[in-house]
Amino acid sequence: MAKLEARGITKYFEHESHRLQALGGVNLKVESGDFVCLVGPSGCGKSTFLRIVAGLEKPDGGQILFDGRPVTETGPTRIMVFQEGALFPWLTVRDNVEFGLKVSGIPREKRAEVSERYLDMMQLTKFAGSYTHQLSTGMKQRVAIARALVMDPDVLLMDEPFAALDAQTKDLLLVETQLIWARTKKTIMFVTHNVAEAAVLGTKVAVFSNRPSVVKREIPNDFPRPRVPDDKDLIDFQHEILQELRPEVRKGGGAGASGASKDDADAEGTVAGEEEKKKKKKKKKGGTQ
Amino acid sequence: MSLSASPSSKKRSYAPHKIAFYIGLVAVWQLVAMSGVWPSNIFPSPYEVGEDLVYGALDGSLLHGFATSMWRLAVGLSISIAGGVALGIVMARREAFNQTVGSLVLGLQSIPSIAWVPLGILWFGLTDAGIIFVIAIGAVFAVTINTYTGVKNIQPHYIEAARNMGATGGRLITDVLIPAAFPYMISGFKQGWAFAWRGVIGAELLFSYLGLGYMLYVGRSLNDISQIIAVMLVIMATGLAVDAVLFKKLELKVMSRWGLR
Repeated sequence: MAKLEARGITKYFEHESHRLQALGGVNLKVESGDFVCLVGPSGCGKSTFLRIVAGLEKPDGGQILFDGRPVTETGPTRIMVFQEGALFPWLTVRDNVEFGLKVSGIPREKRAEVSERYLDMMQLTKFAGSYTHQLSTGMKQRVAIARALVMDPDVLLMDEPFAALDAQTKDLLLVETQLIWARTKKTIMFVTHNVAEAAVLGTKVAVFSNRPSVVKREIPNDFPRPRVPDDKDLIDFQHEILQELRPEVRKGGGAGASGASKDDADAEGTVAGEEEKKKKKKKKKGGTQ
Repeated sequence: MSLSASPSSKKRSYAPHKIAFYIGLVAVWQLVAMSGVWPSNIFPSPYEVGEDLVYGALDGSLLHGFATSMWRLAVGLSISIAGGVALGIVMARREAFNQTVGSLVLGLQSIPSIAWVPLGILWFGLTDAGIIFVIAIGAVFAVTINTYTGVKNIQPHYIEAARNMGATGGRLITDVLIPAAFPYMISGFKQGWAFAWRGVIGAELLFSYLGLGYMLYVGRSLNDISQIIAVMLVIMATGLAVDAVLFKKLELKVMSRWGLR
């Protein structure tokens, strides 16, 4: 039996008074210990799919089976790492990491023991007493990952967790994520629009089509680890993924909620795409200051 | 807190200006009083007011009045904070409740505390309970509305992450909704305090039953203007102190924790 199975997941959105079908019947099987990367054009609904797996959203049709049982609610068996971390600004790094343990009623000493282990694993010990606004974006994502691992979930769901990171930090976390996966044997579902990330991380890449999306193709990925993005064979593999992806991105032109040019650039993982993202980030930052 | 507080890095100190201003003000007051334009029972000199302050402090009457008012305020404000936070959270989380009870809250909020005095007297008599009722109901809706706004403005990701990690029901409220909405709730407490402070003085004036407000009433009955001014100075100083010490500290603590300054 698959650890996790999606059966004909459909989802609609209201968009400016008309109904858009985001998910057109997604089928996917994830075995225990799999590291599945979901790639697809921006706005194709892969993040929505992940949220449905987490139980944070309800599908309009189909069902998610977790250990053979249908998912009806969210819960700590499938822990989500959000794109911006979603760390609690009113808590220290340590209290953030211990949050899930606290709400499940684990006593203080036991909590400290567990959090210590994961703080150490994510190299956060020095920052345990800091508040989250004092951390860099990369550090925040480390905290978010530690907070998720502490819960010892059956499945780890990661929603573009590295999208906002600079290149060096991202490379480092790509290596560490592989190590964590190897060490913890977690089942991981990882959403990204960056094919290099997908190629480096996954045991399998599931390519989403454009809206209404389905899983267009599942490509197994058994390159030896640890992998780095600029390995020659891996780059060929990235091209294989792109081959699947490119027509989907084209189809999305104009129909996408966000600009088509951005989708293209992002999907191809080009420098232009990265630059644009950074610019956007800067703008966002400027707005809050 | 000065009205011109600016976040500029190089802040000029205006302390000498302030000191000079207040010395000047008292001097002018003294001069006008000494000029004899008005008799001293109508326009007492700062010296006479100061005398009343000292006597009031020595015989304990000011302290007693102050303590009585503060005690009532503390009880009333605690009730309105507890009630307002609860009401605000339910309003933010249940739209049907917001559309019904919430609309009534908006209406009730526009009633000044003092307008509740007749009901307070008729329902509770000339008692502490009556005054506390006026304070609590005068402050509760400001707390409610700010809590509502705070909870409504919580980033959805915080709530989703918490639910995902297993926080539900009471746990979600105490460990996520309240701390996440707290920066807004502080504004609610501040407004609530301001309404409560005005409410307690006003209610005591009308209930004529101990406290600083009652002392104002006594001063008026006895034509003792210097006592009235002395009590007013105590009221003003208390207001300033609570704002500058209690709320300022609380705000700074929360803001620096969240990285908002």
